Amino acid sequence: MSLRHFTIAAAAAVLLLYGGLILSLAWFFDGAALHAAVRSERTLSAVRLSLLAATLAATLALLLAVPAAYALSRYRFRGRELVDTVLELPIVVSPAALGAMLLIFFNNPLGEWIERHAVSFVFAFAGIVLAQFVTVLGVAVRLLKTAFDEVPVELETVARTLGASPRHAWFTITLPLARRGLVAAFVLAWAKALGEFGATIMVAGTMAMRTETLPVAIYLRLASADLEGTVALIVVLVTIGLLALYATRRLLGRTVRA
Amino acid sequence: MLEVDALTVAAGGFRLHEVALTVPDGECHAVLGPSGSGKSTLLHALLGLLPPERGRIVLGGADVTRLPIERRGFGYVPQGLGLFPHLSVHDNLTYGARARGVPAAELRRLVDRLVERTGIGHLLDRRPPTLSGGERQRVGLVRALASQPRLLLLDEPFTALNESLRRELWWLLRELQRERRLAVLLVTHDLAEAYFLAERVTVLLDGRVVQQGEKAEVFGRPVAPAVARFLGVETLHPGRVLRVHEGLATVAVGSVELTALASPGLPADVLVSIRGEEVVLQAHGGGASSARNALPARVLAVRPGSPLSCVELDAGFPLFALVTRPACEDLDLRPGQRVVACVKAPAVHLVGGAGPSNGH
Repeated sequence: MSLRHFTIAAAAAVLLLYGGLILSLAWFFDGAALHAAVRSERTLSAVRLSLLAATLAATLALLLAVPAAYALSRYRFRGRELVDTVLELPIVVSPAALGAMLLIFFNNPLGEWIERHAVSFVFAFAGIVLAQFVTVLGVAVRLLKTAFDEVPVELETVARTLGASPRHAWFTITLPLARRGLVAAFVLAWAKALGEFGATIMVAGTMAMRTETLPVAIYLRLASADLEGTVALIVVLVTIGLLALYATRRLLGRTVRA
Repeated sequence: MLEVDALTVAAGGFRLHEVALTVPDGECHAVLGPSGSGKSTLLHALLGLLPPERGRIVLGGADVTRLPIERRGFGYVPQGLGLFPHLSVHDNLTYGARARGVPAAELRRLVDRLVERTGIGHLLDRRPPTLSGGERQRVGLVRALASQPRLLLLDEPFTALNESLRRELWWLLRELQRERRLAVLLVTHDLAEAYFLAERVTVLLDGRVVQQGEKAEVFGRPVAPAVARFLGVETLHPGRVLRVHEGLATVAVGSVELTALASPGLPADVLVSIRGEEVVLQAHGGGASSARNALPARVLAVRPGSPLSCVELDAGFPLFALVTRPACEDLDLRPGQRVVACVKAPAVHLVGGAGPSNGH
């Protein structure tokens, strides 16, 4: 088998795997259950909660990730290697473990003080956002660092010799040239946050209408052996995810042409 | 005027030692050196990307050593040109003025003049990735000049171009530089580029200035074997000074004796350096010549080149001559042919601190 055939076969296998998983939902798909799920106040609450939490978590992650990724891309500083290594933590440690670590933190004196005097995270909406934020931050920094790496430092240097301050050069040269990476990082962080389950359930629990996100709702339906309801919620989640990805591709396409 | 005084910079394991140079207004100064000689380190230190350990950078009478890049007053054209790919040519040209808040009318007059002078008026709405190599170079130069720098730093900006385009842009740069009485510091390893554009030359080797001066002096009389080798002197051979009389030195080289101009303090052991274009070939048994050195020689090999071919000779020591193709054909030069190689005494340069023969 030639390299061309082998690699195309591998690409087809990827499509077959994920396509097959989506198609297999048809076995238990029930239109009436989907209709009921979509109209149910509890499902709508889970969708609203998931969209709001994922958007907040991805936005907050980017606010921290953009400057951090730029520093990792451009500067050599003490602890840089350590920061770079820690970014992989959400990948090597399971989300459930990350959630457990957050829960343990809020049982420490500092965490307890924050809970009492600042923001209450445990079994609260803020806990969902925090759990998703912690899970997606590393990926966001990693993606953005790659985006900044692809913008030649030379362009910033030239901009500064032309009279631009570091901030002006960053906003007029670096940021516009890294915008594709920025959009991609936001969308991937958002999508990852939307599907986040392990850390969320550890920190925020499974309270209906309060901390029940879509993945948590899917888990609860499955746990109660409601396969048709589970499939209906999965269809909702997959539809939201695919629509977001499609919109991103259109947006990125326009960004390239702009 | 740029004055660099005893600039010492450390970059990783590399160190630039005590570099001093001056570039008066209206003059182009070339910094020459092979890869790893410290050219980039010097450039980065001048731009403010690397803090110097010691020394001063003075531009137009102001000490800019500790100033941020944007307040130094250098125009910069890097090897890759650094055109902003997401901005139109017009926005590239006006970027500096906008960043510094220069009034639009004042800027427009300057940019219009430069655009007209360099013939890039039809490119203003295009984006850099759609331009040809030559067009990009022109835009890079105009953009740097539009910011009205006190000194233009050029980092091998013409490397990626073909020969004819490169020469065209050399002329353009020279004319612009003279019209605007601009100080230019050109960092390059291209000897022809440095010779064409610069009035003065600094040769950097291993982070140190090994020679500095008028270009004719540096190219014609390298002070060290390493400089001669870098500057592409074709013939380098160890010799021994036999006697000095009335300003002329007689030097034993291989199995022959050569006459050269003697300089004060000439050591006994020298490296004889002769540029290939200084060697004139005559048919064997040709007429008399004013050249002090008329050496019977045998052609060992002819390496065709354009516009000059390199002729390898055995003249009692390995000697290389650069001659035009028509001259090669007229003399019917081929291996084994016997010729007379003539070299005037001033073209035989004696370098102190002779090392092993370089050969080719």
